[in-house]
Amino acid sequence: MTVTFRLNGEDYRFRDDPMTPLIDILRQERFLTGTKAVCREGFCGACTVHVDGDAVPSCLKPVGLLEGCEVVTIEGLSAGNQVLHPLQAAFEAADAVQCGMCFPGMVMSLLAFMRDNPDASRDDIKAAMVGNICRCTGYERIVDTVADCLAQQRQTAKVAGGADV
Amino acid sequence: MAQSVERSFTVAGSIDEALAARLQGAVVLAGGTWLLRDPLRGVELPEAVVAVHRIPSLSEVIVEADRIVIGAGVTHEALGKALRGIAGFEAVVCAAESAANPGIRRVATIGGNLCSIDFPAADLAPALLACGAAVELETTSGPKRIDIPSLLNDRPGLLDQSILTKILLRRDLIASAHIRLPLRKAGDYPVAIVSLALDQDRRCRIAVGSVEPVARRWTVLEQAFAAEPGGFPRVPERAEALASEHNDFDGRDGTEADGWYRRQVLPVLIKRGVAALLESEGLA
Repeated sequence: MTVTFRLNGEDYRFRDDPMTPLIDILRQERFLTGTKAVCREGFCGACTVHVDGDAVPSCLKPVGLLEGCEVVTIEGLSAGNQVLHPLQAAFEAADAVQCGMCFPGMVMSLLAFMRDNPDASRDDIKAAMVGNICRCTGYERIVDTVADCLAQQRQTAKVAGGADV
Repeated sequence: MAQSVERSFTVAGSIDEALAARLQGAVVLAGGTWLLRDPLRGVELPEAVVAVHRIPSLSEVIVEADRIVIGAGVTHEALGKALRGIAGFEAVVCAAESAANPGIRRVATIGGNLCSIDFPAADLAPALLACGAAVELETTSGPKRIDIPSLLNDRPGLLDQSILTKILLRRDLIASAHIRLPLRKAGDYPVAIVSLALDQDRRCRIAVGSVEPVARRWTVLEQAFAAEPGGFPRVPERAEALASEHNDFDGRDGTEADGWYRRQVLPVLIKRGVAALLESEGLA
């Protein structure tokens, strides 16, 4: 079976078993190894990617369901020789990344969360991270960074909206 | 990666098309979050699959004055959003919004939750049992409506010849609650789940999930509640005592917990559930 979808902004055609998990295609066919295969059962979140804007585990997404979809992986946010995405840059500046295994999934989950929840509280951020497990247990610095980024977004929006003028 | 597997994969555009494929032996694929884990359980993926994600009616939630109709392909996330704030369905919303984790909830469907025969920890099963839901199956002789216990207790027989299409809820509830006990605070399979719902006649339906292999109503406790003054215990500790007295569950052993423990925690979960009901408007 042939499945065609967009992958990081480019057309991609897959011709094989439609029950193949998306993560295997990303890593083994496209060499997009930023997406990590860890638990393979949707618990850890290390394989999180965006499918049509939703942050979902790629280990449990059969490619047969992706016809016509838009898939974005961590590599789609910024190529290695380009400026980092602002959230990635914020994590780097805050020294929030430890071993890095969970981080691509963490970024993909939190990026979609921040887009959909600009007024999120600290508890909301923690609830959004339930499916992203960090074995280095560096959660607090991640939460701090996301909270700071959201506060900056709100401030920017406020200024742009003229509220402070 | 699986290489060059000869697999039949049908993307159904209609319920009729999905049913035809099912009758020829294809396994229904909704979100895929349970099926894709088959290899981890030592089970081979099915040779024939019918995907139902492109059938528009399966993704609808229709809220009417006297009932709610939920398409079987509605995700947990969409279900929680659609029912949030509707009085009486707090248990369904809580089940939809606390099962698994956010990524899974964006993909896993209500139909998949009810139809995964070997998944005893499904959150929506006890919530829908407590809320008195019915389901509609599409069969070769047309739609067939049955109650949730009938579906849960005969899934292999029923789903062999039909497709689950709708879940129906009557809007006759005044409050409900869903109490789950995972080993960690979140992101885990619950050791035990208790759902309670109170209807306009102050009758309380109670359902338990994850303790036995299949979720079921706790009818002896419902009868004990009904025998209380006013038809419902007004003190959570009294509800806990009744639950201890009428605990007729035979807990299943599993990796998260032993059977005795699942059974043992039920009275406390009942206490929490009754407290949650009493906190609802008009009950305190």
